[in-house]
Amino acid sequence: MTAKLSDKATQQAMIPATPTGKQRQKRSDYWFDFNQSIPAGQRLVLGAAGWAAFLLLWQVTSQMDLAPDRLYPGPAAVFSSLQELFLEKGFFSDVVSSVTRIVISFAIAIVIALPIGLLMGSFARVDSLLNPLLGAWRYLPAPAFIPLLLMWLGTGDTQKITLLLMGVVFFLVIMLADVTRQTPRVLIETAKTLGGGRRIILWTVLFRHSLPGYVDTCRQMLAVSWTYLVIAEIVAATDGIGAMMMRAKRFVHVDDIMAGIVTIGVLGLLFDVLFRLIYRKCFPYLGRAQS
Amino acid sequence: MLSAQGLSVSAIGKTFRSGGQTVQALDDISLSLPAGKVGVLLGPSGCGKSTLLRMVAGLEKPSEGAITLNGRAVNQPGRDRGMVFQDYTSFPWLSVRSNVAYGLEINGDRDALNEGTVDHFIRAVGLEKFADAYPHQLSGGMRQRVAIARTLANYPELVLMDEPFGALDPETRWQMQDLLLNVVRKEQNTVLVVTHDIEEALYLGDVVFFLSRHPGRLKETIHTDFKALLPRNDREAFLQSEDYRRLEIHIRRLMRDEGRDAA
Ligand SMILES: Nc1ncnc2c1ncn2[C@@H]1O[C@H](COP(=O)(O)OP(=O)(O)OP(=O)(O)O)[C@@H](O)[C@H]1O
Ligand SMILES: [Mg+2]
Repeated sequence: MTAKLSDKATQQAMIPATPTGKQRQKRSDYWFDFNQSIPAGQRLVLGAAGWAAFLLLWQVTSQMDLAPDRLYPGPAAVFSSLQELFLEKGFFSDVVSSVTRIVISFAIAIVIALPIGLLMGSFARVDSLLNPLLGAWRYLPAPAFIPLLLMWLGTGDTQKITLLLMGVVFFLVIMLADVTRQTPRVLIETAKTLGGGRRIILWTVLFRHSLPGYVDTCRQMLAVSWTYLVIAEIVAATDGIGAMMMRAKRFVHVDDIMAGIVTIGVLGLLFDVLFRLIYRKCFPYLGRAQS
Repeated sequence: MLSAQGLSVSAIGKTFRSGGQTVQALDDISLSLPAGKVGVLLGPSGCGKSTLLRMVAGLEKPSEGAITLNGRAVNQPGRDRGMVFQDYTSFPWLSVRSNVAYGLEINGDRDALNEGTVDHFIRAVGLEKFADAYPHQLSGGMRQRVAIARTLANYPELVLMDEPFGALDPETRWQMQDLLLNVVRKEQNTVLVVTHDIEEALYLGDVVFFLSRHPGRLKETIHTDFKALLPRNDREAFLQSEDYRRLEIHIRRLMRDEGRDAA
């Protein structure tokens, strides 16, 4: 009771008397503030506003005679050619080929990187053995291996999937190891004093604690995967989004090239949203501040 | 009777080496804590209380000396020595119930799980309404109760606690002390608690080990037999008793001497 009273007293002392209640609310309700959580509806509106501004800028600049329409088409032209691509030019099968390459190569990358990353992040000796090796491979640009891969594996899907894998897997190992290493020591020690052995602690503490971090890392690395996909398909491919764009270039169909870029952007966004959904559904305990 | 039952620490020393420097944290510590008693490690900051507790847990290796629990040598962590850490450790991905069950699960202790051990200890720490909540939904004091229940549900022979209530407000802290005493009296646990709070040490402990600093040595062992004559769970009677006041002043002097030596 007394505590409450004194609270009120200090509040009154600290906040100078304001003429209206409205004004006081304004002071604490900044449009920009740190650690704000905003309603979902407002988030959507803001996201859409960003897109609308971008499209508007594109439309306006395309009408300003900066370049011939053929080389710099506006959004309307690109969307109509996108429609045409899907409905008349069989673009859907290109998209399927590309997504298949991404999914297969990324699945292989996870299968390889996860156990290695988990062990590196858990055991200093494994880390000392592999970190210098894999850390160095990470710095070799995957496209530099394209000539070799073409000679070894030909121009088929194996070559492309290998390139995607090489571009992603070394980063993934190192990043998953980093995530694993973040596991608080005290959780491991708690499990030890409850009688947990190494195998049990590896799975029920280190792996389990790192799981959200793994999902988040995969989400980010998937974006890198798309970069290598386009490189792989531009170099040598008969199908896929990148191949379509290269074909379009030969005939100076800039609107088709831009439609390809838009498609990649939308697909990337879809995968991103998918990973975020998985994250939210699988890790409800991260609802508030993570400990 | 000098039985093998309980905890026995003999001539323990610990020297840390880091970056060419050596720090002697503990020197020649010997103490014994009979089974079923609550022992308290008390001393100024940096005297090595946590280090000693971690060595008993098996999380740290002594440089010299040996530790035995109920006659068995301690050289690695094990189910027989459960530990409650200072920072309210709970597994954030597990509900309160699963947190408390964790020890029994990993040990494959089906019997204890089927006997309702988990619910028993959730009730013992007063969290039955929160059994399905996740740790992030709980306050610090409640999370520490989860940790206590999780440790006790695993039936350790010795319960180790490193400043378990250090960061709680006084009221919650008193509640938690009473809760702990009630539970361990009922279960007859052997407990070793670290604290640097004199009142907490005397209130919880059957025996208080006072450590001095640089290097940590056992300076004095204080028994609190006087509490047997006081009504249980009556903090006021405890605080107003002649013996408490005498011991409190005595330990305060020990602390002050430590401060003077350090200066
Ligand atoms: N891993 C370590 N490496 C080097 N020195 C250490 C290490 N752990 C502890 N020490 C040193 O050992 C001494 C005792 O530390 P310890 O944490 O056991 O003290 P404490 O009594 O628990 O202190 P507090 O009351 O502040 O928690 C300190 O001087 C500390 O610097
Ligand atoms: Mg300590």
